[in-house]
Amino acid sequence: MEYGPPPLFNQGVSARARLAFFSFLAILLIVIDARVNVLDTIRIGVGVMLYPVQRVLLWPRDALTHAGRYLVTVGSLTHENAQLRESATERAAQLLQDEQLRLENAHLRQLQGLRERTGAKTQSVQVLYEPRDRFTHKLVIDRGSSDGLRSGNPVIDEQGVVGQVTRVFPMVSEVTMVTERDQSIPVEVVRNGLRCVAFGGSEPGTLELRFLAANADVSSGDAVVTSGLDGLYPAGLPVGTIARVERDVKDQFARVIVRPAGGVNANSVLVVLEVTAAPLPAPSRENLHNERPVRRSARQ
Amino acid sequence: MKLWPLRRANGDAAAATVTAVPRGQPHKQVLRPVRPVFIWASLAAGLALDLLPWGRTPLVPDFLALGLVFWNVHQPRRVGMGAAFLFGLLMDVHDGALFGEHALAYTLLSYGAIALHRRIQWVPVTSQSPYVLALLLVAQLASAAVRLWVGGASSNWWVGLTESAVGALLWPLVTWILFAPQRRSINRDETRPI
Repeated sequence: MEYGPPPLFNQGVSARARLAFFSFLAILLIVIDARVNVLDTIRIGVGVMLYPVQRVLLWPRDALTHAGRYLVTVGSLTHENAQLRESATERAAQLLQDEQLRLENAHLRQLQGLRERTGAKTQSVQVLYEPRDRFTHKLVIDRGSSDGLRSGNPVIDEQGVVGQVTRVFPMVSEVTMVTERDQSIPVEVVRNGLRCVAFGGSEPGTLELRFLAANADVSSGDAVVTSGLDGLYPAGLPVGTIARVERDVKDQFARVIVRPAGGVNANSVLVVLEVTAAPLPAPSRENLHNERPVRRSARQ
Repeated sequence: MKLWPLRRANGDAAAATVTAVPRGQPHKQVLRPVRPVFIWASLAAGLALDLLPWGRTPLVPDFLALGLVFWNVHQPRRVGMGAAFLFGLLMDVHDGALFGEHALAYTLLSYGAIALHRRIQWVPVTSQSPYVLALLLVAQLASAAVRLWVGGASSNWWVGLTESAVGALLWPLVTWILFAPQRRSINRDETRPI
């Protein structure tokens, strides 16, 4: 070991002062980042700098998976092929029927003069990695703002809603899973059209339907889909199935736990819907005037 | 508070060697000076190990934190809280965490290591693990506290604390690897097989 100057001589700023300085700086950054978005340019700068390193470090894993795929036996491939063919023939009939229904539906809509539902532009994306964060469940995907993704775009897989793009970098973006605590999504129960809002559950990996009355008509096994009321998630995407309903006498709300449909198995390919949230129309003067007396009567 | 009893008469000599050798061992190796390139390369390697796509694999320790503890304990003049802070910011961006969360955790870790470095160097390597465990736990709890404060933590966040235990168990190995270049003998042995 090399011998530094004895500690009684000048050693620069004391450790405690440095601790105070850097912790203060860190807490300041945390508070600023949690409240306002001014640090995003710094974050994007650091992210762009880290991007090549991150991509290089994904190589070992990708090489391993490629090697694993190469070693898949012929037997399992033929088995899978047979299964796929079976399901394809099963679906063919269904597809024909669907086609017919779609035509019929379009015709009926035209008759009724309804607006055609425009399909959103989609992009299929690859999952690069899951951040090692223990506190939240996120995914990092390989498309970013340079590919036209925006913060807020819904993300789905073949089974249902996975989450939402919450932060975009030029080349990658972060997807927050729908089961996260601060995520919410307007849904409806398929069986009876009951509308409510699903929030990330307090148990990890689940959703919760909040603010449903204790006697609401929901039961375990009901399918839950997006209602499309927020103008962001298109209507009818599967969100999950109700796992159980707890009705407590003391509580005026039922506790409804939903098991998510999408994002359950580690999919490496997801689909981002490039929907931009249409801003809600501003309340017109007439509406405001109409609403006021109602509120007053409600108060009296 | 009870201080560690001075077991050796030649206390200065013991402090001069970097690791305290077990008691009763006559031979104390004087280490070669550390090369700054090796310090920064090892920290970069720790960062790279953390950036590997571990996903939600359990029991994977924070390699960068281990490296920071090691160099803060053994070279507190060269690696300090500033470096820990900057590495923390990189980890924040990679993990998509709040800006400053890892920075705060690593700053605390670094301060703890610097404050305890004489005490940690005094005990044998295997007995250093509990100190390291405490330091890693404090850092993890700091970031957990930030998350609970801001309100974005899932309820099973404490599962991650097992990573600190794995990190502490790996400490002797980390010490062995990171001291290896300094333990080389000064006189190169020409008859050595390798």
